[in-house]
Amino acid sequence: MRPLEHARLAWRSIRGHKLRSALTTLGVIIGIAAVIAFVTLGASLQAGIVGDISPDDQRNLYGWAAEPETEGGPLAGAQPVVSQDDLEEIEEFDEVSAAYGYATVPTQAVSDGDEQVALGDGLVATGPSYVREGELAEGRSFEAGEREAVLNPAAAEQFEENVTVGDELVVTTVGGGQTTVDVVGITATSEGLSPFEGFEASPRIYVPTDPYYAEGAAGIGFGDGLGGDPGSGSEAEPTDDLRYLAVVVEAQSAEEADVDAARDRAVEYLESEEADASEFVGGGEDLEVTFQTSTELLQQLQDILELLQNFIVGIAAISLLVGSIGIANIMLVSVTERTREIGIMKAVGAQNREVLGLFLAEAVILGVVGAVLGTALGLLAGYLGALYVDLPLVYPLEYVALAILVGILVGVLSGLYPAWRAARTDPIDALRYE
Amino acid sequence: MASSDVAVSLENVHKTYRLAEPVYALDGVSLEVPRGSYTAIMGPSGSGKSTLMNLVGCLDTPTEGVVVVDGRDVTALDGSERTALRGEQVGFVFQTFNLMPRLSALENVALPQLFLGVGRAERRERARELLERVGLGDRTDHLPNELSGGQRQRVALARALVNDPALVLADEPSGNLDTETEADVLDLFAEFHDAGTTMVVVTHERHVAERAERIVHLLDGRIERIEELEGVGEPARPDPASGSRPGSAVEPKGADSDDKTRAEDEHE
Ligand SMILES: Nc1ncnc2c1ncn2[C@@H]1O[C@H](COP(=O)(O)OP(=O)(O)OP(=O)(O)O)[C@@H](O)[C@H]1O
Ligand SMILES: [Mg+2]
Repeated sequence: MRPLEHARLAWRSIRGHKLRSALTTLGVIIGIAAVIAFVTLGASLQAGIVGDISPDDQRNLYGWAAEPETEGGPLAGAQPVVSQDDLEEIEEFDEVSAAYGYATVPTQAVSDGDEQVALGDGLVATGPSYVREGELAEGRSFEAGEREAVLNPAAAEQFEENVTVGDELVVTTVGGGQTTVDVVGITATSEGLSPFEGFEASPRIYVPTDPYYAEGAAGIGFGDGLGGDPGSGSEAEPTDDLRYLAVVVEAQSAEEADVDAARDRAVEYLESEEADASEFVGGGEDLEVTFQTSTELLQQLQDILELLQNFIVGIAAISLLVGSIGIANIMLVSVTERTREIGIMKAVGAQNREVLGLFLAEAVILGVVGAVLGTALGLLAGYLGALYVDLPLVYPLEYVALAILVGILVGVLSGLYPAWRAARTDPIDALRYE
Repeated sequence: MASSDVAVSLENVHKTYRLAEPVYALDGVSLEVPRGSYTAIMGPSGSGKSTLMNLVGCLDTPTEGVVVVDGRDVTALDGSERTALRGEQVGFVFQTFNLMPRLSALENVALPQLFLGVGRAERRERARELLERVGLGDRTDHLPNELSGGQRQRVALARALVNDPALVLADEPSGNLDTETEADVLDLFAEFHDAGTTMVVVTHERHVAERAERIVHLLDGRIERIEELEGVGEPARPDPASGSRPGSAVEPKGADSDDKTRAEDEHE
């Protein structure tokens, strides 16, 4: 008797109990779908992130201070400790090519003439070299101390008439204050330029920390130039108390030695007495400064992703186990139900291995059907998820093959005992079975 | 009688069911069934007819004694060898038809050949042919529960014959048939018998038994007597009052004459 015949007969009896078979495979479907969906999402996420690291980002060290051993991505548990003075000091070191803060300034709106759009947290105050040469599609980066801005395409396109270099925008902060800003450049991509921003595309306007961060942080809005209260401007002058949550230190090159040197120098300084930050970090203080490159941060992110994936896979494995038990259970019921049929088959010449094969085939078909449907469902879910988060779609094809394999395995494992029971049924007893 | 002329031989066969009280379903049965012969088995309900058939059909093994089918000692075979022997040599028509409920008439008939490894097309053709022979050419795609009792019986019959078995065992094959269909079935038996198949038929009905060459009477798990008949294969005759021949009743083994020389088995 050929495998195809087994499969044909097995398929008949599965079709004979459509609802029961469908419910039985559900456990496998859910388990496999969960794994495939998350693996697809994970792979897409990874591809999206890794694809975003540009080579000249490699020399940037992204730093923040947090409680030691805080787990999480960039800025996890970060507290504002680094002052503008600290940054200026760090920038002086030979090992460092630039050092600046990074902060988002909450805004109410941005307007181009009469047209007003919401920007939310999209106003990023940082150093001029944050917007790297290669990232610009048009114009140049802003200069420190100037009321200049670089927009990303998403921000530019928010306005009816695309904003271009040379335009003047008005920014309204949460405090209600307003200030003008000259557009001097447009970036090539709307995705984040650093791990601080995350990697998803969203409208952003990059401006110098001086003056915007100081003003934004002071919470009194932008008092300059637009007929706001001129007095408030002076109160917004950067003070020593102004601290950054996030800082960027650029090494002289992307060489590992240079990057390490810059990192060591910056940490050493921040922990030393001279630094304003030292009241919180180093010595006996409780915060710890971390400086990491995008690659290192991504590694962390990927580790987290992996952890998450393992977790999901664990849950899916449980679901598969439950699915297997379901199949085993239904197969046992089926064997009992069909005792008489087994007797008949044996009476007309079916060998034990053929009966075994028949029931095993049934279990394997259930497992494989579950795996195939689960894979399809999982890919669809992963696809929709990736579409929703706007990630490049990556189909983890090796997992699809693996899923089918798992389906077969589940079928074999759960079918083995029931099939064995069926095979060793005594034909005489079976024929007498009512 | 040379052993190659014997299709089935039983020697002092016992079948005992150990329940609260032991049930002696067969209690010392010795019998030789010559190749190509036609034997009827009669006896009251519970006398052990089905038990005997199961033993001869290699479905069951005796508690004691020897069963030899086609020259092979069934008691010495393991389950899989018995199955193989059964599949190749024996066609079984059960008292309860024992059809596969989810398979069509055609598939039921083709089933034994499936386990012999016969190809699908060939199987189906052979099954169709047999169904036509039992008058069910127009019911091939019906499921058992879409057939009448007599039709099911005929499907079971066709299935028993599909492998061209050397030995056909039928347990009350005509129990559910009207006289006309019954006659058809018995004619088919005669036809197979004429072609050299060894037939063993259990029946309660005298006129069915009389189509055979001899009648084995069972009572309480023993052979009461063996009745040799003349006019083999003829339709029913008036009941011969006693029917038994002297000397054949008590010691049945070897009692049958060697004049039936339908020795060559065409179905190896
Ligand atoms: N599995 C079993 N367990 C216990 N006793 C059994 C079993 N099978 C058969 N018997 C007993 O063996 C005896 C013979 O049974 P068998 O089925 O051979 O009778 P039978 O001659 O075929 O009867 P019928 O004409 O009603 O079919 C009966 O008394 C029955 O109760
Ligand atoms: Mg019986």
